Amino acid sequence: MNDIVNTVTTSGLLDMIINILFIVLKIAAVIAVGLLHVAYATYFERKVMAHMQVRIGPREVGPLGLFQPFADGIKLFFKEDIIPQNADKPLFYLAPVIFFVSALTSLSVLPFFDGFAIGNINIGLLFLFAMSSLGAYGIVLSGWSSNSKYAFLGGLRSASQIISYEISMGLSLVGVMMMAGSLNLMDIVRAQHHYPLGMFAVPQFLGFFVFIVAAFAETNRLPFDLPEAESELVAGYFTEYSGFRFAMFFLGEYTGMLVMSSIASLCFLGGWALPEFITASLPVFLAKALGLFWFLFKVYAFMFLYYWVRSTLPRYRYDQLMAIGWKLLIPLALVNIVITGLAKMWFKGLL
Amino acid sequence: MTSGKLLRSIFFVEIIKGLAFTLKTLLFTKPVTRRYPKVKVPALPGFRGLHALAKNEEGKLKCVGCGLCGAYCPSKCIYIYTSEGDDHNKVVDRYEIDILRCIFCGFCVEACPFGAITLSEHYEYSNYQREDFYMTKDKLLGNWDKYFAGPKGERYFRDFWQPKSENFTGSEGQAMFSKVKVKEKK
Repeated sequence: MNDIVNTVTTSGLLDMIINILFIVLKIAAVIAVGLLHVAYATYFERKVMAHMQVRIGPREVGPLGLFQPFADGIKLFFKEDIIPQNADKPLFYLAPVIFFVSALTSLSVLPFFDGFAIGNINIGLLFLFAMSSLGAYGIVLSGWSSNSKYAFLGGLRSASQIISYEISMGLSLVGVMMMAGSLNLMDIVRAQHHYPLGMFAVPQFLGFFVFIVAAFAETNRLPFDLPEAESELVAGYFTEYSGFRFAMFFLGEYTGMLVMSSIASLCFLGGWALPEFITASLPVFLAKALGLFWFLFKVYAFMFLYYWVRSTLPRYRYDQLMAIGWKLLIPLALVNIVITGLAKMWFKGLL
Repeated sequence: MTSGKLLRSIFFVEIIKGLAFTLKTLLFTKPVTRRYPKVKVPALPGFRGLHALAKNEEGKLKCVGCGLCGAYCPSKCIYIYTSEGDDHNKVVDRYEIDILRCIFCGFCVEACPFGAITLSEHYEYSNYQREDFYMTKDKLLGNWDKYFAGPKGERYFRDFWQPKSENFTGSEGQAMFSKVKVKEKK
């Protein structure tokens, strides 16, 4: 696309402006489509959980309740925005924005299909880690600034939980980095071609397991949803938020889930990559569209795992959560790194 | 910890069992949700709903004002006021039921020797004022026209709420002891 633009324009400035416009367009498209996916992720969750609990879920708004996410969004938008009297106001305003923006920024480095990412940077994976830890600031600040004991406890729990599980998640992905020899997400996907099933999940099954558990904890989902434990802390760190600020936390959480699912899909499940014999006979456009659907299918399969586990397992106790993080996942991830390193050293030709 | 227990906890046997159960529920179990205001559940035979005062063939009040229903009523929510008529008969001036105090036991119906008070299948009468739940004689007679009109109401009245002095046979839908033989009325 950029080549066409280059041939049409001769002026460098015009070229730059068009480039910037092109990137802005890309960003708008990714955010719009991403948020649409987030909206329907909530619908999907409610439906799946309802049927697992022998209920039917949303059905009233639109055919099969398909407009329910929009109805919820509109409702939240028009709700009264309440701010506690003794809240630390600047931080209170800032916290949801940090949380939401860091979740949305993660979308920028995800390659959705072959050759498409807003920013195809070489440290993509590291960037994703950075953004997910930045999201923790939003949670901690919201817990602190609300001036409410529930929010405060939720924020504290979330801080320690995210810090603990960040380590095991990073370590679980080190194996992937070693096998791919890169932090660039596109390179990681391409590196998976030669492995069984075109996935790192097979040789890196230990890393994949650690990643799944850490991803659940990282996004504060059941069975590790202690920061927002409804039965103990009302709603945890966003107890005092209402209206659109609450919606930002809500959207941020689901975007975070979507990002985690995308990381799982890209790093462990082969991303958009289809077998050669399918893509070879198709035109480029169709092959890419098929790749996108293949990627989204994996993302939604992982999202389904989130919902499935949520409707099955009860919440872990806090000391159990910490024990799993420090005594089980980190040693497992370290063992995985050692095994991967040794295998890489001994079977140079194979890996 | 035995080795079997250790193996089970390493491979998450319990968690996988739970996941299999929820997946099975998702795929094969039909939801039990009743979509109430849209899909109404028909009242079961003999349902004790809103009260109505029965009318005879001439369209007049069947109630004679004996007061047995009010005397029987456990929550004492039936108020009957009578006076002497022109040819020394009893005239029911007011017959009032405080629905909010009624427990829908159906004793008033059993007490009535004339089948004058009945309970309809109607159960959706939520409202905004307390006065709407205070049934006067006119309202109760109106209920008869509304909920006992037509063959369905007739059958309902015959099967469940007519006085036992008129017919001792049980209806088909009525729960009865299996050993008891129903005597046909000659």
